[in-house]
Amino acid sequence: MAVRLLLISLILASFQAVGQNEKFQINGSARAYVFSNELDIDEALDSVTTRKANYGHTLLDLGVSIFPNNKTEVIGMFRIRNELGGFWGGGTSFNVRQLTVKGVAGNLVKYEIGDIDLEMTPYTLYNFDEEGIVNEADAFKIRRDVVHYDLFYKGNSWRMQGAKTKFGLNFSKGIKGIDVTSFITRQRPALVDPERLYGGGTIKITQSDKLAIGFNSVSNFDITETIADSIRYRNGVHTMDVKYVIPASKKTKYIVKGESGISSVKYENYSDPLAPETISDWFYDVSVKGVNTEKGLSYELGYKDVGADFLSPGAQTKRVDYGKFPALYQQITNDVVGRSVNYTDVISGNAGNSIRISEELLAYNAAYNNTTPYGVATPNRRGVYLNLNRKDSVEFKKSFLRFGMFRQSRGTGTTLAKTFMLAEAGTDVHLNDFLKWKREFKVNAGIRYESTSRSGEEFEKVDLNSMLIDLGFSLEFAEKLDLLGGAKLWTVSGNTFINERNRFNAIDDFNIVSYDFSENTLAGGLRYRFNDKNVLTVQYQTFNLEDNVDQAIDYGMSQFTVLFNMKF
Amino acid sequence: MKKLIFLSFAFLALYSCRKDEADVVDGPNLNDLFGDFTILTNIEPNITTVDFDAGQELFFSGELSKNTDWVISLIGNDTGARRALTGSDKNVSISNAEWDGGANTFPGFGIEDVSVEITFPDEAIAPTLNYTLTVTGLKQDEGVLITSFEDGIGSNWTSFNQSTVSGGIVCSDDEAAKGDCYYKVSGDVPWDWAKGSVMIRPDEGTFGLQGSASNLYFNMGFKAVENVGPTNSFILFWFDEDENGDGFFDENTEDRIAYEYWSQDTEWDLISLNYADLQFDELGNTIETNGNGLMEPSKLISINVFFLANPENGVSTGYVDHLIFTTDEPYTP
Repeated sequence: MAVRLLLISLILASFQAVGQNEKFQINGSARAYVFSNELDIDEALDSVTTRKANYGHTLLDLGVSIFPNNKTEVIGMFRIRNELGGFWGGGTSFNVRQLTVKGVAGNLVKYEIGDIDLEMTPYTLYNFDEEGIVNEADAFKIRRDVVHYDLFYKGNSWRMQGAKTKFGLNFSKGIKGIDVTSFITRQRPALVDPERLYGGGTIKITQSDKLAIGFNSVSNFDITETIADSIRYRNGVHTMDVKYVIPASKKTKYIVKGESGISSVKYENYSDPLAPETISDWFYDVSVKGVNTEKGLSYELGYKDVGADFLSPGAQTKRVDYGKFPALYQQITNDVVGRSVNYTDVISGNAGNSIRISEELLAYNAAYNNTTPYGVATPNRRGVYLNLNRKDSVEFKKSFLRFGMFRQSRGTGTTLAKTFMLAEAGTDVHLNDFLKWKREFKVNAGIRYESTSRSGEEFEKVDLNSMLIDLGFSLEFAEKLDLLGGAKLWTVSGNTFINERNRFNAIDDFNIVSYDFSENTLAGGLRYRFNDKNVLTVQYQTFNLEDNVDQAIDYGMSQFTVLFNMKF
Repeated sequence: MKKLIFLSFAFLALYSCRKDEADVVDGPNLNDLFGDFTILTNIEPNITTVDFDAGQELFFSGELSKNTDWVISLIGNDTGARRALTGSDKNVSISNAEWDGGANTFPGFGIEDVSVEITFPDEAIAPTLNYTLTVTGLKQDEGVLITSFEDGIGSNWTSFNQSTVSGGIVCSDDEAAKGDCYYKVSGDVPWDWAKGSVMIRPDEGTFGLQGSASNLYFNMGFKAVENVGPTNSFILFWFDEDENGDGFFDENTEDRIAYEYWSQDTEWDLISLNYADLQFDELGNTIETNGNGLMEPSKLISINVFFLANPENGVSTGYVDHLIFTTDEPYTP
């Protein structure tokens, strides 16, 4: 039997654009960002905090791609940043933002070394989206994209430092092909704790256009003898995913897919008596998806069960750590109370964001997301979900409905389990099509409703409801000049218990929280599109928190921003 | 259709794999943290008159609505002896609330009535339960009792008292740490720290202690009554070992291990010393002795107990009582 050895991807896409004589390319982006913030709080509550905070920066990300030969690319990106007001070098920083070598070895193996972006399955390595995004307006998206760009949140990948290889095998019989991806990264150097590496890979076997099976494995582990102490942390997640396509007719097909796997965590030689020796658990997530190409409809019905002790740092690390104070107005009131992260902080990039995966489950805000605070792989959830999507029609685009009913598989603090109901829906309405306008007039509409409940005695009851209305519009009222508007309206009421975990992820206490607040973030502004890559926006964003819980602090914040973003 | 049936079975197989965790709880119990406190079954003693000497058991039992701290305080009406039984389990039983007749420290309980008070310190609204017990027989000590001064001066004992000091056994004044009698030294010695001493020796041979020093504890009650404080008065022990087995102690060729214990307050102190640790000073250095330097309790032939106090402070008074060796753990009165 002859086995043909083929390359899955010979050369990276960027290579293809390189001419025979072209030895390097320059690309990158430039940005100017000016903020004028103002805190709005009752003078009687706070007479000490400075109300206004103005700052800004200009920066240049200068990327250079060097092609020593037609199979190798060296990418270097340097960031020069200057804080506004920092003349003659004051406040100026010069950093290496990216340094990557990539290419193809032996016409077979594609490799990347240095700064690499990694993504696997939602249960192994997946940088899941932050909460509060249903169908977001451009007014917010423009600013969020800046945050994502700075933090290397590209899709759902994590930026890491290490090496990655990929190669593929194609076969003439039996199996169509096998793709093999592997990586190893360094998560931290040895200092107080041992040096930590994170590695893994995927073997994807494509039997045919109908059937594909993947084997995925990631491991987060310490290297012993890199410090005097002999402690060692090890976490492994091993999963298998299957996708099976069943054609029902020419226009309809069913896709059965699923992923299942195990995780284990070991804490070796820890002197802390709270350190467990081993924690392990498993999960599965199966669904059937129907796709009607004629009507542009797809519907997916699934069931998943993620164990309470399923721990996968690569898939459960939150982008926003709600245990950290925001960068702006960290403390307010005359009592100098630490301010919790609100949603305008998340949009503006003032929240504490993750730049690497965390072995500890980070703090979350139950008001924003209590059902899946740790993404798809949130532990201790089992239940059904339904996703409906409709492909673009003339007037409506990106219409969707997502619904889930989950419950805990293990009670927290009581044998009674919490139940969760989550519903999200959204669409983009192109009013210009209704009105027969040439220029675009788009309305974003989205709504998210979440309910958490637990019965039982009075002291253990949970009843929490939150709703997010995510609205916005974009009106091109002159050539390339858009009027933007956006609103994120949170209404939250009820009570719940938030798990407080120790460093080994064991719940050691509960934070009782009662909510009764509305939190509104409104944004409006102008956007001028010089072209697809150069945009200037002038925006005003206001935030207001009205909290009816006793002792809670009502306050507001406003931001005026000027943002010029250019990519080249 | 076959595929559908296969998939259904596969799903059911997965569904049935999840272990039933209905009785497993993550984190602390919410009922314990926030539940209402009630006494479901009164916490009561199993008997109210107890003879520990006859081997009777006394324990408390009852049930609470939640796990919370509880304290059962026992106070001897005559001796003032105290014992506290503590726990946090909602089920109070013989496993966590048994009283063996002992006290937390000296003085020990006597034949007397004992007042019992049961409280719940973490509960804002909780009753206090009160009982009275009658002790008709005392608990038997475990260990090798050297003396509790109940039987008078031993035939081989020697004592020393300064000319202005009275020293000897005193009984029946309700001051003893254990039993009825104790040894008292009292007087004003303006010219010397030394007030008085008693050298305790068995009637013959050694005390018959075990050979191993590592798990052996020497225990004694000490109460400074006058001239009290960690810079004013102290007890000095000499532990003399007859290494050559000739029935005599030679301070020039055999081990004498000395130890000082300074008074703290005017309450009875329970001094408990691991015999093996006596060979080290407070910095952890091995002390020098004139013998073989080995800690050999089986060769212990005498214990000297000195009472010393600052001569500038006038009258000094100290009591000692109940010298006893215990194995594996310090003595509990």
